[in-house]
Amino acid sequence: MSYYGQGYPGPGGNTPQQHPSPGASYGGGSVRGPYGGPAPPGGTPYGGAPPGGQYTRGPAPGAPYGGYGPPGSSGQYGSGGGGAPGAPYGVGQAPGAPYGGYRQPYGGQYGQHAQGSNIPPGVNPEAYQWFQSVDTDHSGYINLKELKQALVNSNNSTFNDETCLMMINMFDKSKTGRIDIFGFSALWTFLQQWQGLFHQFDRDRSGSINSNEMHQAFSQMGYNLSPQFTQNLVGQYCARGMGNALQLDRFIQVCTQLQSMTQAFREKDTAMTGNIRMSYEDFLSSAITRLM
Amino acid sequence: YLYKLEAPHFAEPQGFKPVFMVDKDRSGAISDTELQQALSNGTWTPFNPVTVRSIISMFDRDNKGGVNFNEFAGVWKYITDWQSIFRTYDRDNSGFIDKNELKQALTGFGYRLSDQFYNTLIEKFDRQRKGQVAFDDFIQCCIVLQRLTDVFRRYDTDQDGWIQVSYEQYLSMVFNIV
Repeated sequence: MSYYGQGYPGPGGNTPQQHPSPGASYGGGSVRGPYGGPAPPGGTPYGGAPPGGQYTRGPAPGAPYGGYGPPGSSGQYGSGGGGAPGAPYGVGQAPGAPYGGYRQPYGGQYGQHAQGSNIPPGVNPEAYQWFQSVDTDHSGYINLKELKQALVNSNNSTFNDETCLMMINMFDKSKTGRIDIFGFSALWTFLQQWQGLFHQFDRDRSGSINSNEMHQAFSQMGYNLSPQFTQNLVGQYCARGMGNALQLDRFIQVCTQLQSMTQAFREKDTAMTGNIRMSYEDFLSSAITRLM
Repeated sequence: YLYKLEAPHFAEPQGFKPVFMVDKDRSGAISDTELQQALSNGTWTPFNPVTVRSIISMFDRDNKGGVNFNEFAGVWKYITDWQSIFRTYDRDNSGFIDKNELKQALTGFGYRLSDQFYNTLIEKFDRQRKGQVAFDDFIQCCIVLQRLTDVFRRYDTDQDGWIQVSYEQYLSMVFNIV
């Protein structure tokens, strides 16, 4: 289930000495851990009821840069390492995992403070570790190809290009099409949060979100969308041969776009009637300024 | 007419293209990364991966995430057709077109857009922050405009340049484009 899976396991990796062996510290356990509890990660959205009336209350985790997230959630990225959900250094994260050849293991045995000095301020230490393995060309940046290699869905398919591109654009402050360590740290938090929600909404534990689950997820996130709309959306976005269900990548894509487009609609629907009248150019602008 | 579209709908592929030079891993299919590496926007920066994705998805008929040999011929033609259009507007061969040139190009395709809107376009599609639009971003700009215009037109049944839509209708219009 881990989206870290692919990047880490030794044999498939590019620089074995930098990767822990399979099943090591980044395995599913460390990701699943923080989300055990019923509360959504990062203290997000469900409780509060931000303005927005009928279509949405508080969308799920937002992006830090550039207006995808609701104002209420932007804070969660600001605090760097401390803001990451669940502080993944917790006890027993890597049960019995041999750190075979992994140069900078984190957690107990080598002492996490010793390496702390290498980590830029505000960067989550675990994200920092992950960055080192994902950045296979050691450029100091993560590009589309590297990101794609690092992310897998629960059915072992790689993340789709659209979602990877969307995330790169969201976390690429420099508009160069690649992410630095700071953006990556924020991306890491973003992914953790979405993955937590994904598991929470995947009630039948199938590893994917079907139309019914998606509809429940939307309403829990505060969106008021018809079952029919949701079904069409899932049908439109599900991968080939996936039935009518979304893997993690498309789930993230759909939810993030929905968040952004809802915001666009809301800006036009000042009277909160649920209907808007717009000119051709208004329409173009509203969509284009939110292109990802 | 507030909007009218004669943006180029380029023809289908023909002939063989240097596919094996592009398909570096010899998989028989060309991925985003392979295509991106094969393309140049003339400015020494990597070709916009979003443009690459848009183009591949246009020609990738069975949604396999890349293009096969035959589809690649279409991709290549599509890009070279855009190239020749771009060149007619990029008069100084800088690899960029400025706002006026963009205006000329889009007006030539039939769009009627305000000056203010061109500022929005430049701002959005000027990835290199030069106040101008590079070749790859120009293609993406045109693709997006065309898709949005097509969908708007479907809702603007009386052709007056205005639509009234519900929340769900609006979402359906813009999902998958943005």
